[in-house]
Amino acid sequence: MKKLLIVEDEEALCLLYKEELSREGYDVTTAHDAEQALEMLGREHFDLIITDIRMPGRDGVELITEIMGLRKDVPIIINTAYQSYREDFMTWAADAYVVKSSSLDELKAKIKELMSR
Amino acid sequence: MIQEFQFSASDFEKDEPKELMLLSIISQSFFQPFSIEDNLLVILTALTSGSGVGFNRAMLFRASGEILRGELWLGPKSAEEANSIWEVLSTPGIGYIEIIEHNRALLRREADSLNKRIKALAYSLDREPLSIPALPAAKREVVWVKGAWAEPLVDKSFLNILNVDEFLCVPLFSGDEILGEVILDNAITRRPIEHKDVKLASLCGLMAGNYMYSTTLQKKVVEMERMAALGEMAMFVMHQLRNPLAAIGGFTDQLLDSTNDAVRTRRNLDIIRKEIKRLEDVLFKLSPFLKMDLRKPISFELPPVVQAVLQSTNIQLKREGIQIDVEVENGLPEILGDPTYFGEALRNLLDNALEATPRGGRVSLRAGRGEKNGVVLSIQDTGPGLPEAIKEKIFEPFLSTKEKSMGVGLFYVKRVMDACGGRIEVESEPGKGTLFRLFFRSRDERRENG
Repeated sequence: MKKLLIVEDEEALCLLYKEELSREGYDVTTAHDAEQALEMLGREHFDLIITDIRMPGRDGVELITEIMGLRKDVPIIINTAYQSYREDFMTWAADAYVVKSSSLDELKAKIKELMSR
Repeated sequence: MIQEFQFSASDFEKDEPKELMLLSIISQSFFQPFSIEDNLLVILTALTSGSGVGFNRAMLFRASGEILRGELWLGPKSAEEANSIWEVLSTPGIGYIEIIEHNRALLRREADSLNKRIKALAYSLDREPLSIPALPAAKREVVWVKGAWAEPLVDKSFLNILNVDEFLCVPLFSGDEILGEVILDNAITRRPIEHKDVKLASLCGLMAGNYMYSTTLQKKVVEMERMAALGEMAMFVMHQLRNPLAAIGGFTDQLLDSTNDAVRTRRNLDIIRKEIKRLEDVLFKLSPFLKMDLRKPISFELPPVVQAVLQSTNIQLKREGIQIDVEVENGLPEILGDPTYFGEALRNLLDNALEATPRGGRVSLRAGRGEKNGVVLSIQDTGPGLPEAIKEKIFEPFLSTKEKSMGVGLFYVKRVMDACGGRIEVESEPGKGTLFRLFFRSRDERRENG
């Protein structure tokens, strides 16, 4: 079973993603901030990371930079409410950029695509 | 020994050099709160008023993009009128506002005749061959034309309106920026233009050009700031709306496409309800930007408003475990402002103070007399204080140290204080709490100033 790590500070979204992506057959873990995510990444292996950008403490861009520094070969999807972070070149290091919307279809499709590579 | 005096253009006597007064009037116009059009007109008036200095008439062209357009023409209809304008200008005690009003009257008189014809004139500044009047502006050079009818460079439709044989073209520019041009002539007195007139007009042109440039720059800066603020606001709203919408959409889809037990249905509906409330809060928090109607301040008593805010449910709920000390000096003068907006501003400040203060802490509210018969209201908390980096930007919108807040509260407070002619100051050090001081103007101060 593929393991996903979701980094998201919104509680309701964490719950939603966990339920919905588990239903799609993934093993889903959630972290509420970058610190917690890095701690989990140090402990276990994940097949895919989905991260928000604006979060309390270190933001998603800093998280991506850290992950790159760890040289973990893990695909990353940015999932944010902002379009504008596309302009930050550090976000180009991610494998996909999905803007949050009222439907999870795009996010699910991107996960599927990256997992079948 | 020192001698002090306050200087104004009206201090000039009639026998003093008129060039001095002319320059004085022009330099004053740069600091007047009137529109750029009014101030330019004053410059034109100064250039054309009086036979002793300068010219009979002035025509103004303004550049927009690569086009130079005729805008207005100012000048007396006769030598007598020229002198009478000079009389007006040199009347002891005349203010800038009188000159402006005089100009507006002149313009109204001429609006239907000459100015209409001038407004029809337009010249390209970058298409060769350049004719006069485009040439002086494009090259940023003063051009003195004598024997105009015989000069092939002079545009004939322009000359037909001007109808003089000698005139001076003074470009208005700043650096590389071409802003316009002034055409000056002596159509009424037929006095030949002299070298000293050219020098003086050139100097005035330089000053006016720089004045126009700084005004356009100022406008650009204001516009850019406005756009930046708008962009930031849009960003923030987007974020604040997208998260709840994502949750509402997701949990609704769950309700729609799977067999849910009663517990799960109930849970999803609860989440959706909560997220809708969040959306509503976003709208509510944005409302200060829309509804603020900055009317003329009225005078009102501070203590009842403070009491009402302290009694409000919101504050009552938050004050649990925190001591609020209130100290209001007796017999405070009435202050100027809008009690409704002020109440909301105070509620915001108290809200912040209570949120920052840990249980067992204290929030002190003091009102007393301040400078110039005004009133000072201070709100001190025993919270963690503000980091230096945030303190500087604390009154900017969309800055928040609270994760779930929009950061518009203090921006709102500042707007309320600005609107009533007061101000707000903040003092804070990490670990030592935060002190906000609101300075109000009072009715008594207004009375003193007449």
